[in-house]
Amino acid sequence: MTREPLLSVRNLKTYFIQDEGLVKAVDGVSFDVAEGVTLGIVGESGCGKSVTARSILRIVDRPGRIVEGEIHFRRPSANGGPGRTVDLATLEPNGAEMRAIRGAEIALIFQEPMSSFSPVHTIGSQIVEAIRLHQPGGRREARDKTIELLRRVGVSSPEERVDQLSNQLSGGMRQRAMIAMALSCHPTLLIADEPTTALDVTTQTQILELMRQLQQEDGMAIMLITHDLGVIATMATDVAVMYLGRVVEQAPVDAIFHAPLHPYTRALLRSIPRIRSRARLVPIAGAVPHPYDRPTGCPFHPRCAEFKAGTCDRQEPRLTRIGDHHTVSCFLYE
Amino acid sequence: MSAAPTPLLRVAGLQKLFPIRKGFLKRTAGYVRAVDGVSFHIDEGETLGLVGESGCGKTTTARCVLRAIEPTAGEIFIRVANGSVVELGQLRPAELRALRREMQMIFQDPFTSLNPRMTLLDLVGEPLLVHGMKSRREREERVADLLRRVGLRPEYMRRFPHAFSGGERQRIGIARALALHPRLVVADEPVSALDVSVQAQILNLLVDLQADLRLTYLFVAHDLSVVRHISNRVAVMYVGRMVELAKTDELYRAPRHPYTAALLSAAPEPDPRVRSRRLMLQGEVANPAAPPGGCYFHPRCPYAIDVCRTETPAWQEISPAHFVGCHRAHELQLAGVE
Repeated sequence: MTREPLLSVRNLKTYFIQDEGLVKAVDGVSFDVAEGVTLGIVGESGCGKSVTARSILRIVDRPGRIVEGEIHFRRPSANGGPGRTVDLATLEPNGAEMRAIRGAEIALIFQEPMSSFSPVHTIGSQIVEAIRLHQPGGRREARDKTIELLRRVGVSSPEERVDQLSNQLSGGMRQRAMIAMALSCHPTLLIADEPTTALDVTTQTQILELMRQLQQEDGMAIMLITHDLGVIATMATDVAVMYLGRVVEQAPVDAIFHAPLHPYTRALLRSIPRIRSRARLVPIAGAVPHPYDRPTGCPFHPRCAEFKAGTCDRQEPRLTRIGDHHTVSCFLYE
Repeated sequence: MSAAPTPLLRVAGLQKLFPIRKGFLKRTAGYVRAVDGVSFHIDEGETLGLVGESGCGKTTTARCVLRAIEPTAGEIFIRVANGSVVELGQLRPAELRALRREMQMIFQDPFTSLNPRMTLLDLVGEPLLVHGMKSRREREERVADLLRRVGLRPEYMRRFPHAFSGGERQRIGIARALALHPRLVVADEPVSALDVSVQAQILNLLVDLQADLRLTYLFVAHDLSVVRHISNRVAVMYVGRMVELAKTDELYRAPRHPYTAALLSAAPEPDPRVRSRRLMLQGEVANPAAPPGGCYFHPRCPYAIDVCRTETPAWQEISPAHFVGCHRAHELQLAGVE
């Protein structure tokens, strides 16, 4: 029996209404995250992957706002049975229910571990604060929990680190502390936005391995946002490929890499340098358009090798289901 | 039998120490050993890739080669257009300035490396003006030619950089670097700030320009896949020292230094069917202000033995043109990538 997904995003639209024009940062995004698996969201700058994450957490900065769509999230229940599903898009961003969910049931780790901690408070006091916000118990208890968490994510000598400032930690250690804070309230969904992009490759390996191990132990679902197809291939169970505010293709990881359907996914895979080959690269023509002048029709059509005049530049392709687990948004498959 | 041609660039024993100043009197409390005795050469028309993690000294090495920063010690020999070899450290400022036209740099970030108040004509034409091309008409022609070469339309020369995407800005930076017909181009992470789909365009452009203009590249990057695509030979740095240097395919297929092997296995491959046996390193990169004794890599090295903790490994040629700095290089069997 398949249970309903943990998170189900339907036709989400988050727009930024500015004097210079309307930016459709997220423009009709739909995807599901099942319990305990990792959904990779991959895309280039401006594809809307980070705004999608911020929309789910209801922390989109002004003048951005959710103009349409639903974000169904299944809240955990006390007795372990199926929980109640809420539409996050309808909640008050700073209301009691959203605050109970954000940081506790859905946690977030950012790309920049340097700027996500306050530089004037100790690492420990910030994690303690997060714990006490969502869980009962005193300061002493929360501090012991913090030290235990830091130990669990591999921070060396946690009894000392807990009283240090974030600038006294290396990039890798800061990201571990960030993960400790995210896990402090046992989230059922962890959103990781470019968690290893600022790190060196040997540190990246350690952090990815840590995330995988913690997922096995705690069973949380991970929504992993990155531009790096290598990270996606190593970590994700399912992958959604985004381009200019849309999901253009979604499938299990093996299908994305070995049987991709959308011309953008195929072109992207051909264009990336690979460590095992020196063959000349096949680039994608042009560049990601500026958000103010978004192409009409299919947003990828000006760069697409399979562009059909009169169709792709006039109409918008629908998300079409090909097989059980593969969806694609392209006229080639309609 | 004729002797091998003199390399275009030869660097011997390059060292750069940055003082750490402390207290009211700003007394020197120690040194960051950013580059600590690095030697290599680059032949004409060749690309040498320089890889390593942040803080390993690869950028400092590149800047010292151009004398954009002054090295603490070491010699940098360059073969100039007339065939004679000069040592950069011996040059007077005026001589160095004249030589600068032969050595140019491409920067990482095309958003901050171009002056937003200058048009393309001014940006690309500035080096021409500095080096004596006074006629505006002549400059315009040369700039138009350069823009065409890097794949931009000459009509754009009156526009400002903000009108261009990241990839186009990097093309502008390349056009500027090429304005004076350089022979050596130092590229410091030239594609790492670009979108994935645009990186390939710039890498292909660099390859084509090299073939057309017989350029010599020192290519600094952290991404081993990118480096493999562009380099004839690759040097790996760790905490200010070079640990391995070899022909590209040989280094990737059969690395001889444990750090190189670890870097290769850490690079995540865009293929879910490749689940490589990860050689995961413990700990973090050593602090170049207080490096450990012996081999700097020993605290993280799974193969470290007593000698690694006390003695600096010698830089040895383990097989023809394959250099490595590891005490156990002869006995270790390390895995590379195909």
